[in-house]
Amino acid sequence: MLILENISLAFSSIRVNKMRSFLTMLGMIIGISSVISIVSLGDTMRSVIADEFENIGTTLAYSYIMSESDYYSSNETYTYEDIENIKEAFGDQVAYISTGARASGKIQNGKVIKDATLEGLAENPEVYKQLNMMHGKMFSNNDIKNSRPYIIIEDTTAEEIFGTKNALGKMLRIQVNENLLEFTVTGIYQNNDSALKKLLGGSQTRAVTYVPETVITEKDGWFWSIEISSSKEISVEEFKAKFINYVSRSKGIKPENIRYYTAEEEMKSIDGMMSTLSLVVGAIAAISLVVGGIGIMNIMLVSVTERTREIGIRKALGARMEDILLQFLVESAIISAAGGMVGTILGTSVVAIGSMAFGITAIVKPQVVLTAVVFSAMVGIFFGLYPARKAAKADPIDALRYE
Amino acid sequence: MSSMIRIEDLSKVYDTGAVQVHALRNVSLSIEKGDFVAIMGQSGSGKSTLMNIIGCLDRPTKGLYQLDGMTISEMESSELSSIRNKKIGFVFQSFNLIPRTSSLKNVELPMIYAKIGKKERRERAIELLEKVGLGERLHHMPNEISGGQKQRIAIARALANKPAIILADEPTGNLDTSSSEEIMNIFTELNKEGATVIVVTHEDSIAEYTKRIIRFRDGQMIEDRRREAE
Repeated sequence: MLILENISLAFSSIRVNKMRSFLTMLGMIIGISSVISIVSLGDTMRSVIADEFENIGTTLAYSYIMSESDYYSSNETYTYEDIENIKEAFGDQVAYISTGARASGKIQNGKVIKDATLEGLAENPEVYKQLNMMHGKMFSNNDIKNSRPYIIIEDTTAEEIFGTKNALGKMLRIQVNENLLEFTVTGIYQNNDSALKKLLGGSQTRAVTYVPETVITEKDGWFWSIEISSSKEISVEEFKAKFINYVSRSKGIKPENIRYYTAEEEMKSIDGMMSTLSLVVGAIAAISLVVGGIGIMNIMLVSVTERTREIGIRKALGARMEDILLQFLVESAIISAAGGMVGTILGTSVVAIGSMAFGITAIVKPQVVLTAVVFSAMVGIFFGLYPARKAAKADPIDALRYE
Repeated sequence: MSSMIRIEDLSKVYDTGAVQVHALRNVSLSIEKGDFVAIMGQSGSGKSTLMNIIGCLDRPTKGLYQLDGMTISEMESSELSSIRNKKIGFVFQSFNLIPRTSSLKNVELPMIYAKIGKKERRERAIELLEKVGLGERLHHMPNEISGGQKQRIAIARALANKPAIILADEPTGNLDTSSSEEIMNIFTELNKEGATVIVVTHEDSIAEYTKRIIRFRDGQMIEDRRREAE
């Protein structure tokens, strides 16, 4: 029997039992839409994180030293002297190096008090951070060398504190620990981050500001870690090897105690974690597909029993076993695939609406959608096979007598 | 006349576990092409079993059954499907139209299984429905028409693949007298056109329409009478 005949037959049978067919499909709809939305949500998150690391630059790394004993001795930390030595030793191969200093404080201006993060920038700050400047400019290397009390703030912060976005030259007092520091605003930037990133970074409530690192660190202080960005002249791996070798020799530390993590490694490990997580959650959601499949099998068994007489008539009129088998398989595959398609639309809509709310671009991979639809049709065929075989094997005489 | 059906020493035994039921015992008969036969008997006489075997729905336990020169008793079930499709036109007591399916689609069904093209089978279905006087009821559903009309659709469907025999099992059992007459007149007409018609019935008034009466009792043929010269 022609496949087209079976398809139109299946559709008319689905039409006759609208409510039942819909409820059967519902299992597939829920299963497919949850698999798609979970996997796509995972992919979207991964792409957001990848973008974030792209901004930082994959050459950026941080290094720290593991202590030999329970107590850190002073040479097991980094100092400005170390930084100067590294700069001298590596020359142009180091694009940016800093103490990675950050401080948190409270902005005070009359009565307005706002929590703020002060991120320290070292020489050649544009290598590390590219800000979308609205007014003023990025710090010069001299500003940083000479510990000038300059600050770059976000436009929204400027508006909140000073009532204007153009707050260049204004004085800003920030309480950092016990000290009340006074800064001159030399730059206003616009934050283009998505709502999700702001949420993750906590910058919706905190003001993110940038200052020369020398302003918030002691000249002779020691630091648990430093941040380094190697230049494009040298591969990240090669630089890492040379760096560890150099620090080991110059500070007298065993190479295995020197840690050097690049953003790329960091990203890979987070990405790996995220993909494992979305795989596990996706697999749990896929269980609902099996449940949906069992629902299809159940309904098809009812349908076969109800239509026993019809099966008998068809057999008497010359339908072969494979004709009957195909008829019921096509019907269950169509119910299942239709559920899969509705589920796909629902799932992608959920992802699209969700990401729109957070202002990020949703990633719905075509292969995820394709897999889901093919998988749902396969579920239909697999769970339809038993009822269809039951129908195909029915004895025509018994089937014709069935009331 | 050539032999359309040849049955020799045919038996059918149902093994119900505790007892063996001999539905048919050593039956031999032959039906010629163009004949019009009534198979009669009480319920349990074996006439339904014989009809199932003649209709290729069931296989004999032993013996030979030939239809239109083909030995049916040795065939596989998939071959039987094809024989039913092309050689036999069934008409049932309870009509057995496919529910929620139009007259036209019901008549087309055997031709779908015979893999006849869409246009050809539609034309033939319309032609057959016109032949049984239902040219105006092409798109009616089985639940929208009377019993007599249903049986006429069933006859049109039986004729779809130009079968070797028309096999009618109590075709008037669910019909009133006037509809019964109509149906039997159609069979008579078809027989006059050359069709081989076999009617299974327990009503003498129905058997009156045929040319030959074969009577069964306890799985054996007890009478084979030709009604000549009316």
